[in-house]
Order: sequence, then C-alpha cells, then structure tokens
Amino acid sequence: LSLTAQDLPLGDSQKYVIGDISVSGVTTYSENTVIAFTGLKKGDEIYLPGQKSSDIINKLWNTKLFSDVNLYITNIEGNVADIEIEVVEVPVLHEVKFTGIKKGKKEELIDENDLKPGAKVTENLITTTQNYIANKYRKDGFLNASAEIRTRKYEDTAQANSNMVNMVVDIDKGERVKVSSIEFTGNEKMKDKKLRGALKNTKRKNLIRFWKRSKYVPGDFEEDKKKLIDRYKEYGYRDARILSDTLIKEDEKNVAIKIEVEEGDQYYIGDINFLGNAAFTDAQLERTLGLDKGDVYNGVLMDERVNSREPNKNSIANTYQNNGYLFSQVDLVETNVYNDTIDFEVRILEGKETYFDQIRVVGNTKTKDHVIYREMRTKPGQKYSQEAVVNTIRELGALGFFDAENLSPEIINPDPQAGTVDLEYQVTEAGASQIELQGGYGGGGFIGTLGLSFNNFSIQGLFDKDAYRPIPMGDGQSLSLRAQASTFYQTYSLSFREPWLGGKRPVSLSTSFSYTRQFLYDYVNREADKSRSFDILGVSVGLAKRLTSPDQFVTISNSIGFQRYNLNNYNTGLFTFGDGFSNNLYYQLGITRDNTAVNPIFPTSGSKFSVIAKLTPPYSLWNGVDYGNLENEDDYQLRDDNGNLIDNNGNRVTAENSVPDTQKVDQKKYNWLEFYKVKFSGDWYNTLFSFGPSSNLVLRTHAEYGFLGAYNKDRGVVPFERFYVGGDGLGAYSLDGRETIQLRGYPNQSIVPIDRALDARDDGATIYNKYSLELRFPITLKPQASIYALSFLEAGASFDNFRDYNPFQLNRSAGLGLRIFMPTFGLLGIDFGYGFDPIVGQQGPNGWETHFIIGQQF
Amino acid sequence: CSEYQKLLKSDDTAKKYATAEELYTQGKEEKSNKKLRKSIRILEQIEPQFRGKPQGQRLSYMLADAHYQLGDYFVSPFEFERFQQLYANSEKTEEASFKEAASYYYRTPPYNLDQTDTKKAMEELQEYLNKYPQGEYADQASDMAAELQRKLEKKAFEIARQYHKTEFYKAAIASFTNFIADYPGTPFREEAFYYRFDSAYKLATNSVAFLMEERLKEAKTYYEAYKKYYPEGERMEEMNASLEDINSRLQNF
Repeated sequence: LSLTAQDLPLGDSQKYVIGDISVSGVTTYSENTVIAFTGLKKGDEIYLPGQKSSDIINKLWNTKLFSDVNLYITNIEGNVADIEIEVVEVPVLHEVKFTGIKKGKKEELIDENDLKPGAKVTENLITTTQNYIANKYRKDGFLNASAEIRTRKYEDTAQANSNMVNMVVDIDKGERVKVSSIEFTGNEKMKDKKLRGALKNTKRKNLIRFWKRSKYVPGDFEEDKKKLIDRYKEYGYRDARILSDTLIKEDEKNVAIKIEVEEGDQYYIGDINFLGNAAFTDAQLERTLGLDKGDVYNGVLMDERVNSREPNKNSIANTYQNNGYLFSQVDLVETNVYNDTIDFEVRILEGKETYFDQIRVVGNTKTKDHVIYREMRTKPGQKYSQEAVVNTIRELGALGFFDAENLSPEIINPDPQAGTVDLEYQVTEAGASQIELQGGYGGGGFIGTLGLSFNNFSIQGLFDKDAYRPIPMGDGQSLSLRAQASTFYQTYSLSFREPWLGGKRPVSLSTSFSYTRQFLYDYVNREADKSRSFDILGVSVGLAKRLTSPDQFVTISNSIGFQRYNLNNYNTGLFTFGDGFSNNLYYQLGITRDNTAVNPIFPTSGSKFSVIAKLTPPYSLWNGVDYGNLENEDDYQLRDDNGNLIDNNGNRVTAENSVPDTQKVDQKKYNWLEFYKVKFSGDWYNTLFSFGPSSNLVLRTHAEYGFLGAYNKDRGVVPFERFYVGGDGLGAYSLDGRETIQLRGYPNQSIVPIDRALDARDDGATIYNKYSLELRFPITLKPQASIYALSFLEAGASFDNFRDYNPFQLNRSAGLGLRIFMPTFGLLGIDFGYGFDPIVGQQGPNGWETHFIIGQQF
Repeated sequence: CSEYQKLLKSDDTAKKYATAEELYTQGKEEKSNKKLRKSIRILEQIEPQFRGKPQGQRLSYMLADAHYQLGDYFVSPFEFERFQQLYANSEKTEEASFKEAASYYYRTPPYNLDQTDTKKAMEELQEYLNKYPQGEYADQASDMAAELQRKLEKKAFEIARQYHKTEFYKAAIASFTNFIADYPGTPFREEAFYYRFDSAYKLATNSVAFLMEERLKEAKTYYEAYKKYYPEGERMEEMNASLEDINSRLQNF
C-alpha cells in the first residue's frame, strides 16, 4: 500500500506512530541533518494529515535551503507509518563571471547583487540581477543595455554531488545614447532656449559643455517634462501642457527629441482670501505669502509659499507647523477665473494646538542620555515646532558622536484630540575617537608622534570598571593625550574638556598639561647635546561660554595659564642667558564669533572672527626694580668664580671699568615674563557659484594680525611668545610660546623682519600681518571622507616694531592644493606654493615649496 | 604542537566529544575561561555532525552553556534558542529558556543608555515566567524583571530631573507628570512628586507678573498632591517653607 498524504480525504486525519523516516533528493546535507531540521523522531505520534505535517514542511522551507519540499507516506502497517521527505536543494553559487564590462566594475556588481560564492541561486535572484544591471546602465545613458544570465552546473572533482552552479552574466551595454537635438513646436511666448534650460538632465550634445554630459535617460526625461511645465507655470501659463513628445532614434548613438507644447494663456493673480485662520491674521499670512493682486500667477512659487513643508522655506504651511499646529492643513483653491485673472482662497484647518509629550532617544549605546537631552531643542510640554525638530537634528549631528546622515526623528502617537505628540530620535553611534600615529622628518631629524583623542570620553567612568568598553565613554567630554619625540626633543601633553561644567549650562571647562624637554641641537654634527637642555612645564585652565546676546554665535573664553622655562647651559641667540629660569603666568581673554555654515569642514557661507588678548601681571609697576639701570648696578657686573670683577675677555678690571653681566641682567628681566599680546583673525566664506547642493565654489577671505608688546620699556619685549611667519604653519612644538603662522610658498619660519642682522634671523617677530584668498571646490563631501581642491593667493610679513611697519611690504605667494578630511584621521593635505618675493638674505623669488598639512583646522 | 591542537585537526570525533565534555565540566567547576574557550572550539567543530543524534542534545547544551558561563551573552541566547528548537522535548528546555532570558538580562546596558535590550530582556523573562510559572528559576526571573523595570524607571526619572536641573521647568513638570502616571509602583515616586512641585514653584517665582498667580496656584496643587500621598514625607519640611513663600506671594494678587 502506498499513498501520499494529499490523496487522503480532508478531515479524515488519523493518528500514526512514525516508523522509518527517509530523505530523498539531498546532495550536500546528510539525511540525518534534514531529519534533525524537522524535529521528528522515530516513534513520535503524528496525525496525518495534520498540523504537525505542515509544520514540518514549513520548518524545512524556513531554512531557505530547499526549493521544493514534499512529505510522503511510503508505507502504513497498522498504525505505524513510514515517512519519506523529498527535498530539492537550492543550487549554490560557485563562481560568477561577467562578459562585456571592465574588470573594475565586476566587484561593484557582485556586491550590489550579492553574487558571492555560496549565494543561493534562485529564479528570483537571476531575474532581479538581470533587471538591476540593465537599469543601472540605462541610468547612465546606455539606453540599449541588456543583461543575460546563464547558469551551468559546476562539477567538483572532489565532491560527487556538489549542487553548485557557475553563473555567467553577459552584459551588452550598447552605446551611450546622446541627444543630438531637442526641438519644440507650439511655443510662441517662451523661447526654445528657455525651454531647453528647463530640461535639467536632458541636454543636447555640445562640445563646450563639460559639466553635464549629454545623455538620454528615460527616468530623467520624465522628470524633466514636469520641470518644463513648471517653467511655464512660473511665468503664469497655468494651462501649459505637453501635447506629445517623440523620441527619434537617429543611429545607435543618437536620439532626437521633439516636444509639442500648448502654452495656453498667461494668468494674473486676483483676490486672495484666507479662510479658517484664527491663530494668524490675514495680514500676517499675506506677508508670508508675499504675492499681490496683479502679479503674474507664478504657480510654482504660489504653491511653495502656501504648501511647502521643507524646513527653512517661508510658507503658510510652515508658519503653522513651526508654531504648534501639527494637525493643520492648508489648501489653495482657485475660486474664480475671469479673463486672465484668477481669484484664490487659502483654506486653512488649523486643528488643535499641539504640544510635545514624551521625548525619547533610542540607539545611544555609548552616549549617555544627559549628553543628548541637553542639546535638544524639543522639550516635553513645549509647543510643537517642526523647526525645533530640524534644529535638534542639526545640534545632535554637530556633536560628532553620531552618524549625522542617519539621525531621524519619528513622530509617534499624534493625538489631534488631546493635542499631544511624542517624538523619538533614532541615533546611530559613530566613532568619536582618533588615533594619530605619525613619523616624519622635520626640524633636522626624525619626529615620531603618538596621539590619542577621545571625543566622547567619560571621566567618571575611569572609576567604574564596567565602563571600560574598551575605554570609558559617553559623557561628551574630550580627552587627548599626545607624545612626540625626536632625537633632540620630547613633548608630552594631556588635555581635557568638559563642555557642560556642572551639567546646568553650556559652560565648557578646558584644562591642559604639557611638558617639553629639548636638547641643544648641533647642526654641524647633526646630533643632540644631552648635557644642555631646555625644559618647559605648562598648565592651563579655562572656561568658555557661548553668549546669548548680541547673538548666539559669540563665544567668550577666559583662561589662566602658567609656564615655567628652565634652561640648563642652553645658549642660543634667543635666550641671552643660558642658565636660569623664566616663569610665564598669564591671563587670556578670547572673543569669537563664528556663524559659518553648514559643514564645519567645508563652510560655504558665514564668517568667523576672533580677538584674543593675552596678558601677564605688570610686575614692574610695584616690584621697584629699575630695569633700565640694572647694567650699572654692582650686583650685575661680570665677575669670575671668585667674585672678582672681570671684562668680557676674562681679565680682571677695576670697578670703574667693569662690564655688566648680560646673562644675569636678562635673567632678572625675564624671571617673571611681562608682556601683552593681541591677535585678530577674520575669515569670510562666500559661495561664488553653486553647481548643486554639495558642489559650491567657495571663496575664503582671510586676514590676521598679531602684536606683542611690553608694559615697561626698560624691561623690553620678551623673547618668548613671538611670531614666526612662513611655511606650513604647523606648530610642531611650541618651544617658547611661539606662534607659527602659515604662509605658503616659503620655507617654515623664514619670513623674518627685513632688516634683521644675519645672526638674529632665528628670532621671532613682534608684529605680523597676513592676508589670503582661497578658492575651494569640493570633490566629495561624504561623511566618510571629505575632499576638496583649493587654489590660493597669500601675502604676509613680520616686523620688529611699529616704526618699521609697512602694510605694503609683503611676501606674496600663489599655489594650489588638496585637502582630505576623514573622521578617523583628521585633516590631511598637500599644498604647492610659489613665493614671488625673496626671503631675507636671498636674491630673486623664493620659488616653489611643497607643504604637507596634517591635522590643521581652519 | 600541543595535544589540543592535534586533536583539533584530527578526525577522532569520539575523542573530541570526550575532551570537550571534560573541558566544559572542568571549566565550569574551576571557573576557567581558558578551558571553556577550548571546549567551545571543539564543540563548534563536532556539534553539526551530531545534530539529530542522541549525543547532539548534550553537545548543543554544552555549547550554549559554555558561552553562558563565559559571559558571552551576545552568543548564548542564540545557542539556547537553537537548543530549544532542536530538542524541544529535552529535560533541559526549562533551564535553556531561563538562561536565554538571563543572557539578555546580563547584557542590558546602564539606565542612561538605549534601553532596547532591557525591553527585550523583560519580554524574554516574561516569556519564561509564562511558560513555567512554577519553574525552578521563577523567583530569580521575577527578581530580574523587577530590577529591569526599576532601570526603566530610573531612566525616565533622571531625564525628568535633568529638565529640573537645567531649569527647563515646564518640561520638568510635564515629564514628572508623565512619570507619575506611567510608573505607579516606582520607588522614585515620592521624589517625582517633590520635583514636580519644586519645578512648578521655581517656574512660578521666576515668572512675569501676569503669569505668576496662575503658576503659584498650580504649584500649590502639586504640593497638595505630595501631601496627600506622603504626609510624613522626607521633603515635607522643605516644601512647607516653599508653600509659605507661595502663600505670601499670592497675597499680592
């Protein structure tokens, strides 16, 4: 007796005990495996047909390993039924080959269609892949592209029943189809040129057009036809329509397009009435609309001003959405058309004023709630505002802790009766840490750098062993550690920043600590003299606060710092004393206004100004030391080891002929540094030309000045804190509080005041100015990597005092370069600059210089 | 090349089975992660071959439990889940069901991070409790579920308290009102009543004149609410002082 389950009459199910279970059709799996999948055992009780038998089939289906599953009863003896499970395994892909395309494209197609070895080759996979590939090329203008897939059984010598197939994808791209001509008929009022301009993505062949190549893509053309009608609507032709459009195939490479339009009449705006508005007056809404009776009826603009829900667009719909009316509806209705004039009614259903109820965040697996909630512009109990939601997304993106592209707000439980709505922000954590590991030649030797910066650190987590995953994160603090060493110097630094000190207000606390040890470098023998050294220890603490007035772009910062310089037999031109110390206790005040937008890596508009003043206490006001007379005082005369007065040649002299000990004098002058320093810098960003939302040609205009002065003339300007102009501007090491100013096209720190003596050219200047114009164009602005090209004109100079200051005496340069910003590496760049002017001590233009830019942000 | 490495490369499944079992048992007893990891490597090799066979059940259980003992809570729930699917009639099913839920419990993050996993763990624990209301681990499972519930409460409470701290008092009042409604049995309830009052009080006293009266009165209702539930409450004294201030200010209107 042999019968299949399907042959049994329905409802006639009977209880059986399972006898033998056999499996047929398997090739790669063992029979036992298939039986294990079903969960059946010999001796189980089962109703046939029944729920359990279909469960078995479903279980096997769900493994997605089989393309067909059947269950048969092969034998029944008494109540014992033998079962056979028949399966057909889905073939598995062994290898895929492509014909008709370049090798480079192959990987891309494999990825996009999941054609990796081991993929299950179903009919569905084959069809979708064929369609995908053909469409992909059509989108690129290959109108006649087609793809054909063949599969062949793969014979594996090692395995008899391999069930594997090889796939061959034959791609025939055909020729890229260009548009040879676009002809319009029926247009009397609008010129051909204007209409062709409306077809944004369907362009004629043209030699001088290189921004947008001519190609024919059916989808784009459909879009463009809508744009053509919109163009008519903008000029009041609200009835304009396309009567027909014809595509004429001229040859394999070219098509001609013919479009027949009917223009209709040009219309003007008549009366506009508002209905249903209680929250806003007619006058307020009219102002938002900005269109008056008698204007040409620009249908596109009218629609935008009434209905647009795009953030930052001025429209009546947005006016309601940004002021609590989530459930508002706005409709524009033509009520009367007479001659060439149309009357309108703007019908408004305001709905109930709506308030945020619950505000939630999901997806923050590292960043703690309080860090996110404090940045939010949407709060429970606050009136609904679309604008606040958009701003919140922007603020959260700006934190840098989340993937800015994947931040999405979701409106949950909107309740028109209660007037409440919940909001859920979905965030995706992004890597907020950077590691800098760098080696290179600079300053005459090999320099190695190791830097770690954690931008979402948690100090509290340091004391919680569970927080190490692998480092404590999530409090929005930043911590960076850096060590740099070369043959003749080492520097270690640590800095920490808490952006919301106390958690109540955005007052940021910054602290830093650094230690540098430098040995005297012998340029002749190219080695460091370890017995002669120069140590710097520095600490600083600062508070910065963003102001609310005059506007929200202004930040004010205060800091106090201390640096101790310790010299141990370290004689250079810069320090007149070789043994001794110098302390620098200063207060720094900075005011910055930054409204650059939108992308901090590639601003396209706005400006950034900063004024920084750095001051020390004026010790000489009260300490009673007559610095001008030190050289004449008995204590400051040159003496030998036994205290006898000597001259510079070491010969003993009398008191009348004694010479001052300059080292001792300078040590006294600089034991506590006394100076003030003022710096100004300004940047303007202007988009000169926009080729699209993320391809703007941007001009950056930059100017900066710096001045270092002394309170007490006799004490003089300190040899610290000076300006060094020229080169890449990288502050490789801040030896003596020096500031390196970028001026491309010249060697590093080469732009010294023009009349410097040969032996004083390593000294910094006390005044400098610099101007630059930079044209920037983005190559890509994706979050993984932003790349832009630039060209620049720069000029700068440095001076020793205001007497010499000449704003027109500048070292000029020009050049071009490239910047790459990746979140994990920071900024990398290269610039080639040509210096038009000689550097001090040389003749003729300085010529070409190459600069590598690392990690510098500006 | 150690014995263990040789064994890994050999085809001797019987020996592998024995060694894996030994390593697993010892590892569990001695709390030796090294032994557990070693046993997992063998178990992963041989478990598929025994699937459906009598030994398969033991192997699948050991594999899941070894991950569980290691604290590998991202892997163990899947292994326990698979064990339950493959060997639904096993005597270990209840244990597996509990350990699956417990794995989710152990991997829940601190209250101030995303609580999706916490909600998932609560569902899993509830599923276990539904299946085995009198089960061996029922007490433990309900304790875990209660602890997770407190975690969710703490989260909502701290978010509301942040609005109070950053002086967004309206948001604080709305959040504490929601909190009181959403979590009736919470240990933070008294504090929530207090903070709601304090937010309303501070909002009122910092208001412009024409809003102040209404807001002072609102604050008073929150005072009454606290007093009703917590007449002997810890915050009573402090709140009485604020109430006096409210009453004296109200006399100006």
